[in-house]
Amino acid sequence: MASPCLVLVDTQDSQLGSEVGERVKAEALRIEAKFSRYRPSVITHINETAGQAVSVDEETADLIDYAMKCYALSDGHFDITSGALRRVWKFDGSESIPTECQVRDVLQYVGWQHVAWKRPVLRLKASMEIDLGGIGKEYAVDRALSLAESHTTVPVLVNFGGDLRVSGARHDGGPWYVAIENVDRAGTAAGLLELLSGALATSGDAHRFVRGSGARYGHVLNPKTGWPISDAPRSVTVHASTCTEAGLLAKLALLRGVGAEEFLKLEEVRSWCIR
Amino acid sequence: MQLRPKPGANIVRVQSALAAAAAGLLTSGHAKAQEPAADPPATTVDSAVLLYHEVNRVQAIEPVVNVSHKIDEDSTFYFGITADSLTGATPLGAVPSTLSQSYVRPYKVVPLGTAVTVTSASGGSTVVIVPPATGAKTQTLAATTIVPPNTYPLDYGFSDQRVAGHLGWEQALTQNLKLDGGIAYSKEHDYRSESAHIGLSQDFNGHNTTLSAAVNYESDLSFPIGGTPTPLTQMNGDRKGPDASLHEIDALVGVTQVMSRRWLSTLSYSYSSANGYQTDPYKIISVVDAVTGQPTEQLYESRPNQRRKQSVFFDNKVHLVSDVISASLRAYKDDWGIKSLTADLRYRWQIGPDYYLEPHLRYYTQGAADFFHYYLVSDQAIPQYASADTRLAKFHAQTCGAKFGMALNETSELNLRIEYYDQRGNSSPAGAIGQLQQQNLFPDLKAYTVLLGYTVAF
Amino acid sequence: MKHSSRLYLPKRRADLFQQLAALPKARLLGALICAIGAAGSGGCSTLGAKPWEHDLLAERAMQVGAYPIEAGMDDHIYFSKEASSGGRSFAGGGCGCN
Repeated sequence: MASPCLVLVDTQDSQLGSEVGERVKAEALRIEAKFSRYRPSVITHINETAGQAVSVDEETADLIDYAMKCYALSDGHFDITSGALRRVWKFDGSESIPTECQVRDVLQYVGWQHVAWKRPVLRLKASMEIDLGGIGKEYAVDRALSLAESHTTVPVLVNFGGDLRVSGARHDGGPWYVAIENVDRAGTAAGLLELLSGALATSGDAHRFVRGSGARYGHVLNPKTGWPISDAPRSVTVHASTCTEAGLLAKLALLRGVGAEEFLKLEEVRSWCIR
Repeated sequence: MQLRPKPGANIVRVQSALAAAAAGLLTSGHAKAQEPAADPPATTVDSAVLLYHEVNRVQAIEPVVNVSHKIDEDSTFYFGITADSLTGATPLGAVPSTLSQSYVRPYKVVPLGTAVTVTSASGGSTVVIVPPATGAKTQTLAATTIVPPNTYPLDYGFSDQRVAGHLGWEQALTQNLKLDGGIAYSKEHDYRSESAHIGLSQDFNGHNTTLSAAVNYESDLSFPIGGTPTPLTQMNGDRKGPDASLHEIDALVGVTQVMSRRWLSTLSYSYSSANGYQTDPYKIISVVDAVTGQPTEQLYESRPNQRRKQSVFFDNKVHLVSDVISASLRAYKDDWGIKSLTADLRYRWQIGPDYYLEPHLRYYTQGAADFFHYYLVSDQAIPQYASADTRLAKFHAQTCGAKFGMALNETSELNLRIEYYDQRGNSSPAGAIGQLQQQNLFPDLKAYTVLLGYTVAF
Repeated sequence: MKHSSRLYLPKRRADLFQQLAALPKARLLGALICAIGAAGSGGCSTLGAKPWEHDLLAERAMQVGAYPIEAGMDDHIYFSKEASSGGRSFAGGGCGCN
């Protein structure tokens, strides 16, 4: 996940706490290993054999179905094949931005329309890749929470790197307190939320950007053009009943750039943007 | 460019469709949500059995089991045990002749007075009793082998069982520094070996470069049946020499470099110094008549007490789309005058995620040791060191084979490797004397190996 | 969209390596050039792989000590039939077969 993961269990029973912790940890590690881009996994196998048909398991097929629905609902702006853009965009805070031609060249390897998906067989065009990073972490939160809920009825909060969900109110009926981190001063809070139910997901560009020709380019890339979205909020936090849904809405908001707040208002979701 | 609804267009909310899609994903229940995921396997058992068959020579069977167990993230404990059983015929080192020849070899030591029937032992040998020395409490039985004319002399009574074990520990001292140490022991009826090694490896450049160094110390004892023979003396049934020891120190330094995402390269240098008994107590060298080339004497061989070896090894592995090529070269040289070159090539053809087929080719060429002679000549002085063991001669050898592997599940693999080894030397060296001109002085060695392996992790 | 195969003239020498690295077919060649170039020049920035590029190297077939039993058997067989030993690891010895 490349981020700190924690689970809060509202109980005095430390044995229960560590049992729930172990289950959550195991599920996080399982999902990370299964969908990792960096280690031999289902995803690396799919990307390695791009050009050939690959048969995937049920869970991966469910995630691909979901990603396909998001592609349709977002009019093609949420696209799990957009990872190839990383070959020319390196968001390391440096001066290197790619040229128009480089972006055009890599764009031919981006686009869900090039993917043949007939469950359970997936065929990418050669040199394409898929990346479930945009939905994996939130999905892991939801899965881990349901595992925790099946183990105990005690209130639980699962937080994987800022994407979190709670099983319900705390045992005294009160809310969980969640701080939204300041984008420019890490470690300090820009606001405090009170959460009684559901999930929160935050997306933003606070730490990954490049500067070129005086402008600052965030790391959210438009898969249709290959260039970053301009004027996107620095951080978008969305509340929804599941972390998967909240995460997708936050990313769709970012993709709207200057129209993020308008989009969220239209969708009637509780959200907080920082510019 | 960003997404902006066109003025006047119907604005479609996606939230409820998204909520439904997310709900559908999360309730599908295919992720086995009820059981916690298993921890990565901590114990690996690697086992195999080797069947080795030289055409008309030695056969062997060798099972082996190695176990490694990760105690925690930083420490691994490993041990292994192997046994092998060899039978068959092995060259004596003597030259063939147009006349029939006989050889005698000590075969068993029994208490004095044991009733022994002279009978035919395995493969054309008969057993004789060697007259014991006065006051001895034991007597030696020797086997005599009759070699027909124009046949390469082989010792048919060869039979050896060996058991060996090793254990070791690997410890990560820091994220980048690893320490490894272990001991090993091997015992057969006429040889014992004990060794210990220690090594360090340090990673640099984000695990892209690894520097390693290791040292091994080995102490061996040779106690052939009947004792060690006095070198360059006439072959007889009873030898009476003491047990002989050998000590060897080896040092290895190497660097492994990740050249790119798909290419790993290793370069290493090793140096060994062996001191002690390195002669083969069962091998002889013929002294032939200067004119007819007929053997007149059979002397026990003699090798120097010291041997310093060096080798440089270069290995590369390249990962193609799903296949892997491995290619390596080894250059070797020692102070016995032997130089060799080994080239090894493998292509692992990955057939789907579960199967692979790996053809393999190895080419080996070596030069002769300074003291190697096909035979000695009776009117010339006997040198200080002499051996007719064709393993020290000039020859080249090719191996070709293939390995088929099958992943039974995510944590286990079954594999089968079949190989063919062909060693050829100069069977008619220039300057051969008399009857030796028509003899084959280096019969080809051909061997088949079958290796069946099974690895499982849990 | 047609794939352009022209190599753009780099502004700095480092860019040349980056350009070579970006062309998938030339990656291997780039690493080779880099290795040869590094021997002569002061150093090289593309030798190696980023941590997230160590995926293939983690596979069993790419490990140096991947099949130790097979390697050990080979070492033992060749030690008993040939005069050389060692090189890749400590090999030979342990038996009276040479």
